[in-house]
Amino acid sequence: MKKIRISPPVAALILAIILFVLSGLLPNGYGSDLAVAKAQAVNIVRLAVFLGVIAAGQTLVIISGSEGIDLSAGSVVTLTAILTYVIVSGQNEKVLLALLVSLAVGAVIGLVNGVGITFLKISPFVMTLGMSGVVTGTIIVINHGNVSGKVAPIMTKLIARPLVLGIPGAIIIWLVFGFLMWLFLERTTFGKNLFAIGVNRVTSKLSGVNVIGTNLATYSLAGALAGFGGFLVVGNTGVVFIALGQPFLFPSIAAVAVGGTLLSGGKGSYWGTMAGAIVLTLITSLLTTMQMPDSVRRMVLGGTLLVLISIYGRQEALRQ
Amino acid sequence: MAESLSAVNIVKRYGGVVALSDGNLDVKTGEVVALIGANGSGKSTMSKVINGVVVLDGGQLLLDQSPVHLSSPLAAKKLGIATVFQELSLIPQMTVSENIWLTREPMTNWGTVSAKQVREKTKELLSLFEGTFKTALKPDDVVASLPPDEKQIIEILKAMSLDPWLMILDEATASLDSRQVQRLFELVQNWKDQGKAVIFVSHRMEEIFRIADRYSVLRNGKTVGEGKMSDVTEKKLVELMIEKESIFEYARMELTAADFVDKPVCLEVKNIQTSTLDDVSFKVHEGEIVGIGGLRGQGQRDLLLSIFGDSRYQGSVRLYGEETNFRHPRKAMKKGIALVPGDRAREGLLYIRSILENLQLPSWSRYGFPLKVGRAKRDAKTVGQSLNLVMAGLKEPVSSLSGGNAQKVVIGKWLMRKPTLFLLDDPTKGVDVGTKAEFYALLTQLCEEGRTILFYSSDEEELIGLSDRVLVMFDGQIRTELRGEALNKENLIAASLGATNGVAQ
Amino acid sequence: MKKRWNWDFLMSRYPAFFPLLLLAVVIVLNLVLQPNMFDLETLNGNMRVFLPLILVSVGQAVVLLGGGIDISVGGIVSIVNTILATRVGLEGSPELMWRYVIISIVVGLLAGAINGFFIAFLRLQPIITTYATSFLYFGLALFILPNPGGGIPADIASLYRTSAPLGIPLAFYVIALLLLIWIFVSSTRYGKYLFAVGGKPEAAYETAVPVTWMQFSTYVVAGFMSALAGIALTMLSGSGNAEIGESMTLNSITAAVIGGNAFSGGLGGVAGPIMGALTLSFIQNIISFADIDTWWETLVKASIIVAALAAPGTIDLFRRRRS
Repeated sequence: MKKIRISPPVAALILAIILFVLSGLLPNGYGSDLAVAKAQAVNIVRLAVFLGVIAAGQTLVIISGSEGIDLSAGSVVTLTAILTYVIVSGQNEKVLLALLVSLAVGAVIGLVNGVGITFLKISPFVMTLGMSGVVTGTIIVINHGNVSGKVAPIMTKLIARPLVLGIPGAIIIWLVFGFLMWLFLERTTFGKNLFAIGVNRVTSKLSGVNVIGTNLATYSLAGALAGFGGFLVVGNTGVVFIALGQPFLFPSIAAVAVGGTLLSGGKGSYWGTMAGAIVLTLITSLLTTMQMPDSVRRMVLGGTLLVLISIYGRQEALRQ
Repeated sequence: MAESLSAVNIVKRYGGVVALSDGNLDVKTGEVVALIGANGSGKSTMSKVINGVVVLDGGQLLLDQSPVHLSSPLAAKKLGIATVFQELSLIPQMTVSENIWLTREPMTNWGTVSAKQVREKTKELLSLFEGTFKTALKPDDVVASLPPDEKQIIEILKAMSLDPWLMILDEATASLDSRQVQRLFELVQNWKDQGKAVIFVSHRMEEIFRIADRYSVLRNGKTVGEGKMSDVTEKKLVELMIEKESIFEYARMELTAADFVDKPVCLEVKNIQTSTLDDVSFKVHEGEIVGIGGLRGQGQRDLLLSIFGDSRYQGSVRLYGEETNFRHPRKAMKKGIALVPGDRAREGLLYIRSILENLQLPSWSRYGFPLKVGRAKRDAKTVGQSLNLVMAGLKEPVSSLSGGNAQKVVIGKWLMRKPTLFLLDDPTKGVDVGTKAEFYALLTQLCEEGRTILFYSSDEEELIGLSDRVLVMFDGQIRTELRGEALNKENLIAASLGATNGVAQ
Repeated sequence: MKKRWNWDFLMSRYPAFFPLLLLAVVIVLNLVLQPNMFDLETLNGNMRVFLPLILVSVGQAVVLLGGGIDISVGGIVSIVNTILATRVGLEGSPELMWRYVIISIVVGLLAGAINGFFIAFLRLQPIITTYATSFLYFGLALFILPNPGGGIPADIASLYRTSAPLGIPLAFYVIALLLLIWIFVSSTRYGKYLFAVGGKPEAAYETAVPVTWMQFSTYVVAGFMSALAGIALTMLSGSGNAEIGESMTLNSITAAVIGGNAFSGGLGGVAGPIMGALTLSFIQNIISFADIDTWWETLVKASIIVAALAAPGTIDLFRRRRS
């Protein structure tokens, strides 16, 4: 039986399309109304943007191998969302500053992760888990009750509202972002080095790659990207609260996995993560529209995820 | 105890790749059969089929003339077949005794493992190889801390503890030095006398002629010849292995060390001191091929890594008179030094990445931003062609290549950068005869172009044939230098055992 | 053959050494803030709260030892809690309680088996798989008990809370039992197989160790331990809440790691996670007793945990620099 080679991102995209078509057939679905279908599709993708951006950093650390993962992404998102909220306070002029602060704060947290992982030999799972606690603790200290702030009009305009051809700014931002990620991963020395250390760190070092530097930079970059994610999220929702970032965390890992990046590192792409983010958003949104108690919804989500990974998340058999 | 095993018309595919299309092998008790073939010929696959590690897609295995089905390594074990692999099946975090007795631990009445019996039996087994280790090997040593040759011996003892009737030694001597190989062959002779059977998979002709009774040659997945060792010559075997009828002689054109004395000094090493090296000093002139010899684990690898900047040392290393102080291989690389490491799977290649990416790994920064991949591909292709690299395409993963071709990628990666000093750690380990000859020609040519080569080899004939002179290391020191007439096998082996000192001509 | 009793030797042969040191430090700190810590009543009060985490951490440690990870443990704890709270109820009889304790254990084993099936037999990635099953299990718990409520008979709950045979809290007996079982198991073939699979699965496979079954069994053990934890937790709180297991998952992993379990399998014992769970719990205790502003509690606790995790690596770093 010959196996047809579909690259994982394409497979995920096909899956998303199939699911979307199926959703149209449901009672609440768009049926044969193309205008509604288009609107719904756009909405799904728009929702997926935020998960997708947050999952970008996750993609990088997972590719870097050695059980790379970033469990602090959720709390970084919340923190930078709050910082943005407070800094901007409704003023357009402060938006750029807020963005830079978000990136910088995320980068610093990521760097701390990187230092613990690289120099103190703490496993990424545990280090980033610990840092997420520290960041959350910091948020509570800052939050001390409520924060006052406001999102600037320009943010809402760029992110939440339609920008070009009725396509929300967020989606356009994402597409540009996706292209930049591709460029970074496939057309820079750093990207090549990242894949290399994900496969084999000894070979990498003996071939001249600065493994330590690459590792540190990756976690720092992942933090910055999570910061960017927080900036976008608050621009979209306009409100902040302490659990803002948490719901994005594990789905970001799932998005990376569904998108075909090997969780063991050394192979993958951001296109895959984007497709994975769309698939996951589609599933959760489908389940939300269907009338069912929260408990059943959770079980169905779990079951669906399980089926998904059973199909194309399998690892090599022990016996060939 | 069984009496014979036959593999008949074995077919095995890995995905789309056919590893074996017609493999055959017969072995009876009391004899040693050599399974010979170039890399990619299907040798390893054959031994994996017989050991139950992989499923066969066609053909049959006959035990005492009746068909058997080996569904797992356990099934093979139960039938009395044990294998010693080259890629070890040891658990690094566990001790020597735990590894040897895994799944067959002697038990107490309480259902726990009897530590006392385990220790005693392990000591018994270890005594079989006594005197061949550098450091005393103890049952409670953690395997991860052992050098490769000792790990290989543990692997052998592990197979022996099964008391099998058929032993498969798959490249088991690759990591061993001459003393250890000698001891192993003494054991093999004992086994023959006891009525056991051995399948000996190897590249080393000299060993094959020493130990085997019969031979079976695989070429491109098919068995192309078998018979008695007494009826065949090395030339004939090589002819069977590769399609071309050529004999490879790798003596360098009568060059001697004296020819190089006037050339500039490329590498000067003075008083190197590390945890394994003891006051090592020597010079290498431009254009020389200097070999490092000696038993394994005498510091050869550490020496090469120190020069390359991957290991801390005290002392001085100078490249063309300039003091180097490499803290990272990257710095050495930029100064024109290249290192081909000893374990290509673990140190030389990125297995799941493409051939292109492996070849360009050190050199991407030359291709600008964004990376000019087209140019990178062209450069890689050129290097591939100059090395006669047999591959399906640059974007295929390196795992699709045979051993010899994979090693070409490791060398090619550095060739791209035209290094001035080439360091090689056992470069032809696990490489077939055809590719070996290509390497020798390549290395010779590089020196004619003015580059310098310093390499370690555990293969005496290779050292003698290829080097202008050999520095023999023992216990972290360079004890002897052999050149000219003195560079012969007896002296080399003697020096490896620490018997001689100084420079012999 | 002299044995050199220095730091390196201790750290490699007795991986539980550093966690023990850490635990001692934490206990001393606790003693300072809570001088009556060793009084039976206070001690028991603490230990009965700590016990559920200890149990889950041990289960998690076994999974980690086998080279995997289980983020559905909290979900299993929740299912058990909701089953007991709804089925037994405040008026239930002891027989009813025992019956549902047995059923809970079976449920735990089953949940573990499901995890094990997908990971060991279908060879799916542990993190994603147990993430998916955590949705299943938490969802199921929510289904059984949509709103907090239900409970178990008060006298059974107080049995758990006040039990202290011979003046030693119940929890210590449980810990002692766990240690004894581990000492036994680690010297059986199963124990050796476990270390082998955790160390290098491919090598274990070639040595005919039943790798798949071993990995499967670690998840079943985790399910079993989670069920026990759920039972203990229910007896502690006396009531039901589907979210009750939420924090246990990540805490159990932290505890196992503080306890010295190397993350990629192969090392570790059971003493480690027990000490890790105790350390984590005592840290929480210390935070509550120290007069810290509520706002700062989370940050302080998290910082201490990170410091505890960073300590072995930092010490190693300094030692390497010095040599």
